Amino acid sequence: MKRKHYAALVVGAGIAGIRSALDLAESGLKVALIDRRPNIGGVLAQLDHQFPTDACGMCKMLPLTSRDSSSQFCMRKGLFHKNIDILLHTELAALEGDPGKFRASLRQRSTFVDATRCISCGECARVCPVHVPNEFDSGLSTRGAIYLPVPHAIPNHYVVDLDRCTRCWSCFEACPTDAIDFKYAERKDFRVVAALPDAAARTDLGAWLADQNFPLVLAEDGAAALRALEEERTALLLLDLAVADVDPEKVMRRGLELYPDLDVILVAGPGDQDRAEALIQAGARQWLARPLERTVVRWLDHHYIRTVSDVTHELEVGAVVLACGFDCYDPAQAGQLWGRGVVPGVVTALEFERMCSGTGPTGGRLVRPDGRPARNLAWLQCVGSRDPARGADYCSGICCMFAIKEARLARQADPEAQATIFAMDVRTYGKDFQRYRDEAESRDGVRFVRTRIHSIEPDPEADGVPITWMDDDGTLRREVFDLAVLATGARPPEGSDRLAEAAGIALDANGFAAAPPLQPARTSRLGVYAAGAFNEPRDIAESVIQAGAAALNAARTFKVHSPPREEQAAPAPEYRDVTREAPRMLVVLCDSCPTLRTRVDMPSLAARLGGLSSVVRVECVQGACSAPGWQAVGALAEELRPNRILIGACMPYAYVPRLRELGAQIGLDPAFMDVADIYTPTFPGTATPGTALETEVYTALAMAAVKLAGAEPSPVLGRLPVTPRALVVGGGLAGMTAAMALADMGHDVCLSEKAPRLGGMAAAHHTLLGGGDPRRVMEDLAEQVMRHPNIKVFTQSRIMLSMGRAGRFMTALATAEGPAITVEHGATIIATGGREVVPDSYGYRVHKTVLRQSELEARLADGSLDTGALGGVAMIQCVESREEPRNYCSRVCCAAALKNALTLKERNRDLPVYVFYRDIMSYGFSERFYTEARGRGVLFIRYSPADKPRVSFGQDHRPTIAAFDPVLGRELRVTVDLLALSVGLEPGDNEDLAEVFSLPTGPDGFFREAESKWRPVEFLRQGIFVCGVAHSPRNMSETIASAEAAAQKAARILAHKDVVGGRVTAQVRHSLCSLCGRCVSACAYGARRIDLERGRVEIDELLCQGCGSCAAVCPNSAGVLTGFKDEQVLSVIDAALAEPTQPTEATP
Amino acid sequence: MSQFEPTIVAFVCNWCTYTAADLAGTSRMLQPYNVKLIRMMCTGMVDPKYIIRALLSGADAVLVSGCHPGDCHYINGNYKARRRVKLLQEMLAQFGIDQRRLKLTWIGASEGNDFARTVAELVEEIRALGPNEARAVATL
Repeated sequence: MKRKHYAALVVGAGIAGIRSALDLAESGLKVALIDRRPNIGGVLAQLDHQFPTDACGMCKMLPLTSRDSSSQFCMRKGLFHKNIDILLHTELAALEGDPGKFRASLRQRSTFVDATRCISCGECARVCPVHVPNEFDSGLSTRGAIYLPVPHAIPNHYVVDLDRCTRCWSCFEACPTDAIDFKYAERKDFRVVAALPDAAARTDLGAWLADQNFPLVLAEDGAAALRALEEERTALLLLDLAVADVDPEKVMRRGLELYPDLDVILVAGPGDQDRAEALIQAGARQWLARPLERTVVRWLDHHYIRTVSDVTHELEVGAVVLACGFDCYDPAQAGQLWGRGVVPGVVTALEFERMCSGTGPTGGRLVRPDGRPARNLAWLQCVGSRDPARGADYCSGICCMFAIKEARLARQADPEAQATIFAMDVRTYGKDFQRYRDEAESRDGVRFVRTRIHSIEPDPEADGVPITWMDDDGTLRREVFDLAVLATGARPPEGSDRLAEAAGIALDANGFAAAPPLQPARTSRLGVYAAGAFNEPRDIAESVIQAGAAALNAARTFKVHSPPREEQAAPAPEYRDVTREAPRMLVVLCDSCPTLRTRVDMPSLAARLGGLSSVVRVECVQGACSAPGWQAVGALAEELRPNRILIGACMPYAYVPRLRELGAQIGLDPAFMDVADIYTPTFPGTATPGTALETEVYTALAMAAVKLAGAEPSPVLGRLPVTPRALVVGGGLAGMTAAMALADMGHDVCLSEKAPRLGGMAAAHHTLLGGGDPRRVMEDLAEQVMRHPNIKVFTQSRIMLSMGRAGRFMTALATAEGPAITVEHGATIIATGGREVVPDSYGYRVHKTVLRQSELEARLADGSLDTGALGGVAMIQCVESREEPRNYCSRVCCAAALKNALTLKERNRDLPVYVFYRDIMSYGFSERFYTEARGRGVLFIRYSPADKPRVSFGQDHRPTIAAFDPVLGRELRVTVDLLALSVGLEPGDNEDLAEVFSLPTGPDGFFREAESKWRPVEFLRQGIFVCGVAHSPRNMSETIASAEAAAQKAARILAHKDVVGGRVTAQVRHSLCSLCGRCVSACAYGARRIDLERGRVEIDELLCQGCGSCAAVCPNSAGVLTGFKDEQVLSVIDAALAEPTQPTEATP
Repeated sequence: MSQFEPTIVAFVCNWCTYTAADLAGTSRMLQPYNVKLIRMMCTGMVDPKYIIRALLSGADAVLVSGCHPGDCHYINGNYKARRRVKLLQEMLAQFGIDQRRLKLTWIGASEGNDFARTVAELVEEIRALGPNEARAVATL
């Protein structure tokens, strides 16, 4: 552990934890990121495909500014960031203290494989006799007791599953680098004193432990045990409570007095268990049942190895973010209800995802258990969700979308595949979800069947999975599918109760972290925040937003509560100028791993490399990845003072931070160093030893060498001073929340609102689903904003013009009084919200008996509606929504309908309330209110968009609604006093603003974010962020989360004195440039422009992301990408082709 | 005479195919020596002259492989590569170089098996096609 102090501790390294950690790290704060698993990535490590591209794209979350602080490769492989320390296999054991200065105890379980020695050659796994289901493949493949948790991670080391290990020592003997350490030799220092009055027990124990290498003293009574303890340092005392001559407690106390870290293990029978429990309170570790069984050997082995191998870390942290994600519901909990274990071909959604993975257990083929291709596939929704009988009166929120995605994937994998989704409601409530679903239906032929499949009955006759359901017209249908995919819902993660206790937070009735209303990132403990799905099941985009909100709150807590600490900024390393020297390259070959030594003739390889003109020395080093090996590299570099260093080793990405350190040590720019992978070709199973292999390794090194020979120093990083002020456009809930968050962090905020008052759409709410007083919240918030010394509010103002870039924008505001003013700001947040749709259908604006939900809510709140006098109320959902031209779900209308329906029922129990709906979108925990509404007698009648309810009006304006009821199977006509329309939200007039800030909008007029999943509150144009309804319809809590996430993104910029670009950026050789402008139009980031005054192409190094598009289109080779100069690439091509290819011979 | 062993130069994107190739390697999938990987930041930066240089300097085929459409780390670099490769194939044909010697594929970071398969298939295809005559032309 390098540091003990961190601004924040992030628990859980899934997508939300990574996002929170990156958000904090990018604003310059030190973060400790831990995960109980031996790998990062959470469930996403297993998922290859994400909506909406059906590919991944996680790497888009990597920082865009100061890019060199973090890794620049696929994020599912790994992550480095200079401000993040990652501890895996680690759990939070205790959290004490107050916000700003928490003391966190972390327990890190050993993997028993020395990471500095393991080269992931896999020899250990090959010899391991254990075969258990592999969690990574959701049990579809097997693994040994020593295994790689994630096959693609970097760095990647084997871990030992202690519970499954039979201690056969095969792996220990097979390991070529002695990386596996079961601490066998050290057992001789682990002295065990066993006080057992029973002679037979002593004999047995002595015999069992005879060859275990533990020094064992067998004492027949308490006095003997005391003598044995006094004699020599003891690690473990096995104390039978039947010891009679001395009080066992006395023996225990004496032992602990002598050796405070002594493990006291009691042996107790049925009669003295209470005594044992009492002694555990007094300092004993645990108790075992009398008589001891042979299994005590295994128990002792585990106990010993954990005691000596596991480590505890003590940290001081400013705030804590809990991002522990969720677990998938295990359908086996319901026995054989869904045919698990009895009907072949019933798989869970996660198992199906693994089947879709090309590197998964089936190589990407969809197969039935009998090996035939699976063509007819069914998805069963709500397995373990929306099921109060199974403890889940909530909707998991993610399953409808992943089922649709999987159905589309099935179609991609096999064009003949037929997909059927059985669902009660298809909850496509997120941005662009509805269109994705429509496309699945129309383009991919996915069939949606409106029903819930409650069980799967085994049928030995059926050739597959038989599924029976009742059709809309009442007929019983039966179909046999090749595979039935259970869309298993989200459950609180395993061990969340333990974690909640350790972190001192409360869990809600569902077992997720409890969040106070309208404070989405908070938990019950101040300074401890929840990110991602840990307080409500969420998809990736919402988890990323929630993670941003948690990061913001953590940063704010750190800022407000932590004592200021002097952070000594590391001085920028100074590099000597080697550009005028001829290349003098040191080549270091890591030869610790026998796969290379035994398969490649090293002297011959070294001689060939020495023949390269730039190479001055070729050296072999033992274990370049280990600390001593790396010191040897450093020593060679010190001695030789080369101006190029090439290292031949494995896993080049893992060396990036090390090269930087070495560069600082010897004053050589890391741009002149590189690592080439020479190990992968030598792995067993890939190739036979011989000249072909040697040539392959030589060519890989020669290609790297010529590239390095032509290298140029890292350009001086572009820096742009940051104006420490944010402009927030829009003074509604989102805008005010973002403004308050930034202002509390000490940044100046300028808030522009076009209306005369702050408040926006949310100020019109009277009640909230689940209680709360939104008016009060909004009034308080507006007052705080008006009074905050860091916030300047401009009401009745309009943005006229804006220019500039991240760090420094200039924006002109027109205000009601006086002339326009110019604001200089470093970041911009767009929070312009939206408005409720005014419908033209169902007699709205013609008949006073037709209201919108918001109007009904207002009339219920101000008492102008006498519910006792009403004879009936009807509601129609999805009015002018979820069909073109407004083909999206507005998320809030179903909640509003449930809220009003429940209020009506509360005031008048017998009032008939009818809700005509397409899909009830009570996602997440709001499902409870849907259950409640049905329980109170609200009638829900489903309609299809092809057959909408028809409304007619009588003389008294009373509406009559006629619709086909699929449950009754006949036309239904109801006449009511009031008709409430759920109309949905539409964006405000965003066109002007979009033009002023050059921002894109989507097909529905909402702002188009940079990336729907990974960068949901950012724009492609850096420094501008979006939140609230301006992005997509969302409720108040979700709006607050997105506003806080956007504020955190803005804080990332404002927290720094200047914005810094990356090392790999494009440059222009102005003397060759003909100003044709092709590079300007090729640049996807708008980083290039033609400066007409200076007559040259200028590059914004901060906007440039280093993709090299400009260099490729330049007809004059004037565009150059650092590290990828034409000369370099061309010489690499030549080096690649210098040696003729020799045939590959695979080893059997 | 021994079997013709084609040499293939592969320009691969740092974010996807390079990772897939690595995954194929660490997953112990057979990787023939015929393929020489050159890591690029994005397929959008693969200058046609690199491809031509490779074909004239002895490569029997060139593989360009990037992120799936819509999934480019740099927004749209792979689309640029797609247009460029298509055009270049037309031009190569006019100069007597078989279009099959230039191949463009999309291989995501997790698709190690796709990479191994693509490479194996390409090697077989080029082996059947025979050596690249442009190599001889260039040496004249």
